[in-house]
Amino acid sequence: MSEWLSQSSLDAIAAERSKYPPEQARSALLAALRIAQEEHGYLPEPLIEHVAAILGVPAIQAFEVATFYTMYDLQPVGRHQFCVCGSVSCFLNGSDEILAHLQERLGIGIGETTADGLFTIKEVECLGACKDAPMMQLGDRYIEDLTPQKLDDLIAQLRKEAEQ
Amino acid sequence: MPRIEIDGQEIEVAAGTTLMEAAEQLGIYIPFFCYHPKLSVAANCRMCLVDVEKQAKPLPACATPASDGMKVSTRSKRAKMAQQGVLEFLLINHPLDCPICDQGGECPLQDITMGYANPHSLYTEEKRVVEDKDIGPLIATEMTRCIQCTRCVRFGTEIGGISELGATGRGEKMAIGTYVAKAVRSELSGNMIDLCPVGALTSKPFRYKARSWELKHSQSLCPHCSTGCNTDVQSLGREVLRVKPRVNEAVNEEWLCDKGRFAYAGLQAADRVQTPLLRINGSLQPVSWADGLEAAATALQKTIGRAGPDAVAGLISPAASNEELYLFQALLRGLGVRAIEHRLRQTDFRADPAMPLYPALNMSLEQLETERNIILCHAYPREQQPLTNHRLRKAALAGAQIWALDSTQREFNFPLRQIRAAAGADLAVYEELLALLRDGTPASNPALGDLADAVRAADKPLFLLGSSLLQQPRAAELLAVIAEIAQQTAARVSWLAEAANSAGAWLLGCVPGRKPGGVQVEDAPRVWEEKKAFLLYGVEPEADAMDAPGVRAALDAADAVISISSFLGAAESYADIVLPLASWAESSGSFFNNEGRLQQYRAAVRPAGESRPGWKILRVLADHLELAGLDFDDLEALQDTWQKQLGDFPLDVPGFRVMPEIAARHQEDAGGLQLLGDWRIYQQDPLVRRAQPLAQEPVCRLHPDTVAELGIGGAAVELLASNGAQVQIPFVLDAGIPHGAVWLDLGHPETQALGGVGTALRVQMPSIRV
Repeated sequence: MSEWLSQSSLDAIAAERSKYPPEQARSALLAALRIAQEEHGYLPEPLIEHVAAILGVPAIQAFEVATFYTMYDLQPVGRHQFCVCGSVSCFLNGSDEILAHLQERLGIGIGETTADGLFTIKEVECLGACKDAPMMQLGDRYIEDLTPQKLDDLIAQLRKEAEQ
Repeated sequence: MPRIEIDGQEIEVAAGTTLMEAAEQLGIYIPFFCYHPKLSVAANCRMCLVDVEKQAKPLPACATPASDGMKVSTRSKRAKMAQQGVLEFLLINHPLDCPICDQGGECPLQDITMGYANPHSLYTEEKRVVEDKDIGPLIATEMTRCIQCTRCVRFGTEIGGISELGATGRGEKMAIGTYVAKAVRSELSGNMIDLCPVGALTSKPFRYKARSWELKHSQSLCPHCSTGCNTDVQSLGREVLRVKPRVNEAVNEEWLCDKGRFAYAGLQAADRVQTPLLRINGSLQPVSWADGLEAAATALQKTIGRAGPDAVAGLISPAASNEELYLFQALLRGLGVRAIEHRLRQTDFRADPAMPLYPALNMSLEQLETERNIILCHAYPREQQPLTNHRLRKAALAGAQIWALDSTQREFNFPLRQIRAAAGADLAVYEELLALLRDGTPASNPALGDLADAVRAADKPLFLLGSSLLQQPRAAELLAVIAEIAQQTAARVSWLAEAANSAGAWLLGCVPGRKPGGVQVEDAPRVWEEKKAFLLYGVEPEADAMDAPGVRAALDAADAVISISSFLGAAESYADIVLPLASWAESSGSFFNNEGRLQQYRAAVRPAGESRPGWKILRVLADHLELAGLDFDDLEALQDTWQKQLGDFPLDVPGFRVMPEIAARHQEDAGGLQLLGDWRIYQQDPLVRRAQPLAQEPVCRLHPDTVAELGIGGAAVELLASNGAQVQIPFVLDAGIPHGAVWLDLGHPETQALGGVGTALRVQMPSIRV
């Protein structure tokens, strides 16, 4: 146990660490940050420093990784995170309109969270589902061939679930 | 051995050679930004893309190893398209502010754009803007210009030992910086300015001072430590505007520390002496050179006539040139004066007969990298000789075992084990090590036991003696024990010479008891005792002397003090005659570095005001004193003379001559806390301590337990010495300082008044003055 992470997270990080040679602690950063985020919901600055300290790497190296991958959240996020792909295929198929529609419907900008803590919009890089562009990731699901109508239905459904 | 062909030229290269290196061997230029021979390969700028036959895409030359039969083209249509494409992308976000950018004229991005770019860009959208970073007083940042080559980041981790810089964000949002705003603190930080291939990192003190092509370049040497880094002093008119390293793989490679790079700023100090000054009716008045020199000669002759030559002492800076050192001692010895000294920071001279011919590294700096077992004895090269430290760092990273024995914990930038003495017990540490090695008794300090084991197991370990060893109040006893240890273990002893020409000062007879060539003469009188006249040369005793209060009292009591100096300082109150000395940048000469390497430097600018090169001042003063044989007309004749007198000498000398019997000096417990300290990096000589961009306020360091015991709160303490001196100074907590001691940054005239290392101090809360 540490002030940030439970014993099971620390054990999981240690297990990841042991996969790499002793002088390559940096290699375990990706997994360690993911484990920390799973427990804490997002990665505040002190937690990133904490992870770096656990692995014994300079804090800046952990920050480089945490700021590079869109899968790491540096701010608190809502219960449902709409991760809309903005890379080439999705862009050509109208990801901008999808993002604009989401922002209008939810009344928040990209990277923001609704006041009720339900939704966050995020623009991410290519998720490898170009054939069904435009698309987004929601939790561990891909939602593809997005249209404004499809998004409205989804939002309504998620709101209903939240009320129950 | 792969055989490859680049642009139709065949070459056979060693396995593992990259295309970039192979092209360099052939004299074929491939443009690049992120590649640097001293740094790891990142291959992220893509500028060095070349066309390799049978490869689907162009390959980065810096990261592609040559393999047999490769046919490479750097100028084919595909290579050119790649180069143009990369440049177009790099320029998308690069501002077109070359006319106001300090990098203009010496900018690889500018040059390569001129040479390789397609003049038309397809990009019409907005350029991004990146927030500037504040990384301290030396480096100006304009991060919008950054092309993310990451040279500065790699320099930080690989060379400088700085792990605060990195590249955060991704794609267009990627930016170089620290994740929390903080100054990059490294004694090598200025090299990032040279490494940056664009104008993102430029020199803050040089900002907007001149365009690079207007500057005059002069081959020079750094006068600030014994490494002897080769420099290029760049000037415009009469002003030195910046100092950059010159490449010399054997000495400084291509680096320069911040002390050497920015100290020039002190040349313009307000107290620079412009004309000869003579004390008339109690105050210093400008006089002509003829009057100043005549007054100096008369003062020396009068004192000698009245009280004999032993009533005169000469003190010269160890950063003076060989020519100045030789003339200085020749002039004084011509008058019969024997008290000639350059070691102001030393107070215990009992081991003088054992001192070697000169403080020698006994090997080349390059060889130092290959040492396997090094014991640093009161040495902190990171601040004293930063680029010698870089060689030690390389040795450490290559697996050398390094140990440091010292009074305090120091902030080394490489892995080593440090052993710290208890307050005032420095000698005991070395004595215990000797006992362990001799008798194998169990160690009171387990780390010392480990060190003894390591020394025993090592083949000829290297004991490197630092300048703060000689600054200890019982230095002679420490040296005697170290000599004994070396004898016991067949260890080698080498010295980290303190200043730019400490070696020259020893070789050319600026020590009492030794003539040029290290010829020992009968015992010389003590420098500070019973003196009626002093000849000071380039020194500032109030800041440079360990026992500044004692020295100050001797100067105040003297009948005549003649100071040949670039800066006035406190000489305003104690000197009777001041002769303005040209700085190193304003005169020519030579230094011996720590390896015994003789190197020359050339004047870059004309002397400030009426100041004159030192060798000319001494030569004319010798004329006024009617001394024969010193009337040199040019520097070459003077060099010939001292070289003839010095003769050939071995570069590798024994670490010690014969050690005299040295009795233990009883140390009285004067109560209070023991003063420890050292000259911090930017406080070490009169020039660097006047460089505004490097200025650091003095602080004192106390162990948290000491502070708790004394019940001190707040941020400052008052230090009181038994001589009545009293200083109020901010303090920081530092568990690396022994309990019961006060660490003080030395070299500031105000703190120097308290006394030197070993002085007992009282520490208390600052008294409130109404």
